[in-house]
Amino acid sequence: MIVWENMSSQTAKAPQTRFRKRDLFYLMPLWLISLIAPDPYLYHKKEFKKKELFYLAAICFAPLIWSDSHFHHLMVLAGIYAILALGLSLFMGYAGQISLGHAAFFGIGAYTTAILTTRYAVPTFLAFWASALSAALIAHLIGRPILKLKGYFLALATLGFGEIFLVIVRESTSLTGGVIGIFGIPWFSVMGFSFDTYLKQYYLAWGMVTGLFIFSKNLVRSKVGRALLAVGASEDAASSVGINVSKTKLEIFDLGAAFAGWAGSLFACIMSTASPEAFSLGFTILIVMMVILGGMGNLYGPIAGAILLTWLMDILSKYQEYSLPVYSVILILLLIFFPDGVGTRLNVRIIYLIGYWAKKKKRDKGKL
Amino acid sequence: MDLWSYIPQLLFSGLTIGAIYALVALGFVTISRASQIINFAQGEFVMLGGVITYFLLNGAKLPYPLAALIAILIVMLIGFAMHLSILYPLRKASVLILIMATLGASIFLSSTSGLVFGTLPKTLPPFSGGEPLRIGKISFPSQSLWVLLSTFILLIFLYLLSHRTLLGKAMEASSTDPLGADLLGISRNLMVFLAFGVSAGVGAFGGILITPVFFTSYSSGALLGLKGFIAAVLGGWGKNTGAILGGFVLGIVESLSLAFIPSGYKDGVAFVILLFILYFRPKGILGSPFIDSRRW
Amino acid sequence: MKRMVSFISIFTLILMAWVSPAYVAEKSPYKIGVNLEFTGPWAEVTKLLKIAMMLEVEKINKEGGVDGHPLELIFEDNGFDVGRVAANITKFTQDKEILAVIGPFEDNLQGASRAIAEREKITNLIICPSNPMMRNLKQKWAFNIAQSDRIVSQKLVDLSLARKYKKVLVFHGAWPLAQSLAQLYKRLGEEKGIKVIVSGETHQPTDIDMTPQLIKIKPTLEKENVDAFYACTAGPPGPIVCKNLRNLGVKIPILGTHGFGFGFILALGGEAMEGVEFGAGKPVVPDQLDENDPIRPVILDFDKRMKERYGMGIDQFSGHAHDAVTLVYDALKRCGGKVTRETFRDALEKTKDLKACHGIYNYSPTDHDGLSKKDMVFVRIEGGKFKRIKFPGLE
Repeated sequence: MIVWENMSSQTAKAPQTRFRKRDLFYLMPLWLISLIAPDPYLYHKKEFKKKELFYLAAICFAPLIWSDSHFHHLMVLAGIYAILALGLSLFMGYAGQISLGHAAFFGIGAYTTAILTTRYAVPTFLAFWASALSAALIAHLIGRPILKLKGYFLALATLGFGEIFLVIVRESTSLTGGVIGIFGIPWFSVMGFSFDTYLKQYYLAWGMVTGLFIFSKNLVRSKVGRALLAVGASEDAASSVGINVSKTKLEIFDLGAAFAGWAGSLFACIMSTASPEAFSLGFTILIVMMVILGGMGNLYGPIAGAILLTWLMDILSKYQEYSLPVYSVILILLLIFFPDGVGTRLNVRIIYLIGYWAKKKKRDKGKL
Repeated sequence: MDLWSYIPQLLFSGLTIGAIYALVALGFVTISRASQIINFAQGEFVMLGGVITYFLLNGAKLPYPLAALIAILIVMLIGFAMHLSILYPLRKASVLILIMATLGASIFLSSTSGLVFGTLPKTLPPFSGGEPLRIGKISFPSQSLWVLLSTFILLIFLYLLSHRTLLGKAMEASSTDPLGADLLGISRNLMVFLAFGVSAGVGAFGGILITPVFFTSYSSGALLGLKGFIAAVLGGWGKNTGAILGGFVLGIVESLSLAFIPSGYKDGVAFVILLFILYFRPKGILGSPFIDSRRW
Repeated sequence: MKRMVSFISIFTLILMAWVSPAYVAEKSPYKIGVNLEFTGPWAEVTKLLKIAMMLEVEKINKEGGVDGHPLELIFEDNGFDVGRVAANITKFTQDKEILAVIGPFEDNLQGASRAIAEREKITNLIICPSNPMMRNLKQKWAFNIAQSDRIVSQKLVDLSLARKYKKVLVFHGAWPLAQSLAQLYKRLGEEKGIKVIVSGETHQPTDIDMTPQLIKIKPTLEKENVDAFYACTAGPPGPIVCKNLRNLGVKIPILGTHGFGFGFILALGGEAMEGVEFGAGKPVVPDQLDENDPIRPVILDFDKRMKERYGMGIDQFSGHAHDAVTLVYDALKRCGGKVTRETFRDALEKTKDLKACHGIYNYSPTDHDGLSKKDMVFVRIEGGKFKRIKFPGLE
């Protein structure tokens, strides 16, 4: 009884704080930082694995070890595709949907940046955010009806939208330059510091990858992430637990599109051109392959897949005419033998081999 | 008004291309009835039919009918090979993997065709002379009549195949009720294998018909396949008659839309139609219930 | 321990092999990057360009190169993709040894290439013609090899006058070159009294069926009673337009651009190409040139070498390839020993009276196109072959 009284008196005496507008101003940067800061309450000591530090160090120091500009160029591309694949893997790997039109959002991002920077002299930093916004906006508009579909139909509908965007971009020459695209996009620059060499662009791209990776990791471990997994597992069960399935799917679709918009914007600034090929079906296939082959259930998968496929494309480009047939054969083989991602089987094999080696060494030592 | 002077012409060219969409859609339906797989490489079979015939005609200097027949056989073999090498190993895989595998096969077929036969568009001599025929103000190549006639004959042929022959009946059974057919000893994998051959042959046949009118190049397969699929969905998924109907409807609507929109957007029309169908009537015009709801 | 030593040594060896400089030749070669569409719709043509260029480079190197420095071409494929064009030319500029880039072959790709060349200050020799949009940018570092749209349009107006066409309908492609050809033809034609109707319909360079657009144009053709149809396009769409037009029962004469002067055009179009006329580069009809033509010996010599080595004669493309290499060689010779990207560009800009397969090249700070109207001839397709036609007073 005393407890009851204490509690009720405490609540009754709780000070009423008024929410003032300027609190938003103070809270906003905190909120932004919290998006990418690791959550100390969710990260137990064991969770923060050594391998994450190792990967971070590898990303930081790799371009300094291999100072070949071709390597830098490849890794810049890999970084951009990693951002794209990360967004797509949230949509495909966690929420269990299929999107065959994601290249459209990449292209929207690229073209938004291109148009804003070349025609309206918007600084690239602002155009960068505008691209993500426009991609997410368009995703929001088309997402609601599309996401009601499932399986083959969803794949087809997204494919249809991708193709429609391609046709629109190719035909509206006044807006998008049609077949010739838009060129002359300036380098990406922030407050006077412009990323003009491959090395700087590398750090830009991979810095973004790291930031978005931490953001995604936080997302996946949060309530939203669990809702995603639930929707991916079974939509009916998820809605029976009280998850708003269509809202969740739409949110993650928008997020994936925003990631793609960012990636497209970086791509436009680095290539200094934007062209309709960014929307093509072949590019969508490439991105989806990155997500599948990297491994669909985790966040390292798309990044690994991006690096893997970028390197593969580079190696194949030496074979000029034979590159596409060989590429498709390799893709089909990888799909047949590694449908869960290249890493899983390889991991198992390597772990097995290491274990075998360790046991063998022990046995030899024992014998001696 | 100018519109009325060319709408009949557009109607006619729409019928012609509609027949080709119908053939591609038939190919899609054949495979997916047997195995619930959507074969994105279907359009490539059409392309290969035309390109291989061109090669046999001009490179190996075979007589036209023989070249056409051999080309159809070769494309059927390619269909069989595709089943054995790609889809049989993946028969238990998820929808996504299957889609990507068939897309990969489509890239392989189109790029290899570009490699082996060259990347320039190819054409074949029309079956009966090159002078266009005229009806009033409409002139169309005589090939269009051949296309319509052959499509009709093929439909009859496929109907006879599936309803009068034992093999055809086995394929029908396997697609309608896989478990029951299995219990009766019909090997599902064999039926899928045959379905691939049949749809490859149908596609190649369509390719040979259409190449004299429209040029075929190594990259024309992809778009044709997508539009054929849209036609199949439009007409009613799962039925042969639906595929044919959908093909013609798509061809005519696409052609007529040219009267109202700039010509560059023509390809977008098919996809807009797809989206309409998917939202409002996923079963298509002659809708039929899904055969195996698990896959969808 | 042993294992670790061997591992470290192997690793070091690999690292050394990666970063070690290439072996140094007798005299370092002059490197030129080549950024062409080896995969894609033009693959067969660019293959021809590549072997023609290599033939010419071989000849130059056998004769001692440029003061003993061999000439070396580095080929990169851009797959008909603007993004890869940009990537390739950026890669070339990062390599300090590359002096110039022989640029894309297709018109819709040249914009990206030129912009990057201008920013990175490297010479870009583009094989396709320039167009007003590009010329307005007044770029210092971009040069075009092919006949410019001005010359082509002038030649075609001359042809129309000679044939006494009073009304011509123009159907053009959606890329800047085709649009500018149409506009220039209209302007020049109307100055000379020809009525030119430019159709609102367009097509893309990769289209393989233009029947829808032609169906919409046909009523205008009949109503206005035009004398000729100008298919203002290049590449595969050219013969396809002709074929579609004939399939629709239209019988009026067809005019083409210089992009019609290739062998595969005839193969594609077949009967529909009979009677098509256009202004072409001289390599299209090597055996029908005038005796006193100053570039005739150059053409015949290259034709002979191509037939000896590859079994095929000269044609418009191999002519372009030959000219690209010749221009580079000539400019390098005039650099006078100090060869850098800047001196190369200046030397190239001072090219005067260089006899090459397509004509006599003259570059200047205001003219980066090089050729003139005299370097083209009138050609008619008859019997499946190119036949030169002459009109007195209009050459």
